[in-house]
Amino acid sequence: MERINEITLEGMLPKVFVNERIHESGVWKCRLALKRGENYLIEAASGAGKSSMCAYIYGSRDDYEGKLLFNGEDVTAFPISRWQEIRRSHIAYLPQELDLFPELTALENIQLKNRLTSHFGDAEIERFLEELGIASRRDYPVGRMSIGQQQRVAIIRSICQPFDFILLDEPVSHLDEENNRIAAAMIMREAARQGASVVSTSVGNPLLLSNALHILL
Amino acid sequence: MMGQVSSLLRKNTSPARIAGFVLSNFLGLAIILGGLQFYLDARSIWEDDDSFIRSDYMVINKRVTSENTLGGASGFSASEIDDIAGQPWVRRVAPFSSAGYKVYASVMQQGRGMSTNMFFESIPSDFVDVPASRWSWREGDDEVPLIISKDYLTLYNFGFAASAGLPQMSEGLMSGIPLTLTLTSDDGSRRLDFHGRVAGYSNRLNTILVPQEFMDWSNARLSGGKEKNPSRMIVEVSRPGDVAIKDYLADHDYEVAGDKSATSASFLLRVVVGIVLAIGVVITLLSFFILLLSISLLMEKNRGKLHSLLQLGYDLGAVEAPYRKIVVVASAAAWLLATAGALVLRAFYLPALEGLDAQPGSLWPMLLLGVLLTAMVILLNLRSIKMKVRASWRLGK
Repeated sequence: MERINEITLEGMLPKVFVNERIHESGVWKCRLALKRGENYLIEAASGAGKSSMCAYIYGSRDDYEGKLLFNGEDVTAFPISRWQEIRRSHIAYLPQELDLFPELTALENIQLKNRLTSHFGDAEIERFLEELGIASRRDYPVGRMSIGQQQRVAIIRSICQPFDFILLDEPVSHLDEENNRIAAAMIMREAARQGASVVSTSVGNPLLLSNALHILL
Repeated sequence: MMGQVSSLLRKNTSPARIAGFVLSNFLGLAIILGGLQFYLDARSIWEDDDSFIRSDYMVINKRVTSENTLGGASGFSASEIDDIAGQPWVRRVAPFSSAGYKVYASVMQQGRGMSTNMFFESIPSDFVDVPASRWSWREGDDEVPLIISKDYLTLYNFGFAASAGLPQMSEGLMSGIPLTLTLTSDDGSRRLDFHGRVAGYSNRLNTILVPQEFMDWSNARLSGGKEKNPSRMIVEVSRPGDVAIKDYLADHDYEVAGDKSATSASFLLRVVVGIVLAIGVVITLLSFFILLLSISLLMEKNRGKLHSLLQLGYDLGAVEAPYRKIVVVASAAAWLLATAGALVLRAFYLPALEGLDAQPGSLWPMLLLGVLLTAMVILLNLRSIKMKVRASWRLGK
């Protein structure tokens, strides 16, 4: 499959909002084109539908009106196998609820993705763990870690694959500014290396991206 | 990597439930396979003995009493035949035709001749279960196939031969000896000569049977056209052993000829095997549902993990694999145990059956049925797994 260069949201609206009066939005009920190579910071109040947007783009949910296009192609007809291919090679996703396996260690959680994509070597993953200050927790079950530590594990896991876009749903909500900066640098470095886009959401503690277009949801 | 995925997805597996399936599926399959094998092994005791007349055929005649001896009315009238044909347990009915001429048979053996008067009867060929090549006669054929009662051979061997100093004869030997048949009309004016060949022996026909074609042809030439009411009827019944048959025969003073025990015994065997198989089928069906529910429950409990792995980009097949493996391994184990169980059971009863002169049946139907049932259990479960995985791909649905 060719690379995804543009993700277009055309008049999209979560079905739950259909009968509600929504205020001016840069995402819903308009045309938003996310271009590969650009970084986006999507800011909104809680409940505006940030997580919904991520889930729609990742194929996890389809309860919306309007159209979602990848390179101009409507995604509604995509078979499951194609979505799985997209998830392995084109779109990376860090959900707000992290979706880690609490019974597995930090490293096992990361390797669960990395072995599927064979993206990084062991040494690189070790370096990421050190950079984010959780190397000492490498062999701890994730369920016994703090939310902030879990968030860092999930950040590393999310970049362990080839991608054209990386969706990060409130990735640093439990991180201090220092770790936020490190995480942002790590993600941007990997995105730049792959010529990919970073799309991050936030309700007030945004990922510290440089050169990001701000969109108000 | 797959090891980790499997161990994640198999979390919450209940060994007790899986063991419950294996045990109940083993039990159900063992009953079905054991029952089927027993039927195949034991069937020959009653059925192979008399392959000329199927067990659902019955030969009836009127009871000979002092009255009808004097009256001479031991034949079935047309209305009586219609009445029999109208009974609900009757599939079809045909009269025995008897020869309207004299038959004289002689045998030359070791230089000694032996001859006797005898008689012929015939029934339509489709009631006789012998390949057409062995049971046919056409005009111009010199050789006439005969089916004789086994009792006649017994009478000869243990009654006549012993007292007359003649050698005893096996069935095969007897079949090889040419019989010279002389057919003469009652008034002695016409005569035909043939050779007879014994094509088989029957336990259940107390007669000497010739093909219907030969009977029609010879009667036309020798009997002088007089029609007699048939004295015996052959009846194909739909339910051997039905009490209604017994009552009807008793009411009309009819008798069943030949070995009746074989008919009811083989019927009983079928009924018993039928009941056993039905029990086995019910247990197998229940065990199938146990497996189906166990796997569904397991997948339901692990639905979050299933979804998370699909979110990471794992293929549907990779996520299905651990559950598929449980189904295949558990079903195959149950099948192997059941087959072994049926074979062990067979080892116990076979010596006893062989003592009864049974010809052990083939193992293939039992093995095949086992594979078939197991494959069905596996395929239906795999289908259910596939549907469940697809259902958890999107959480909202």
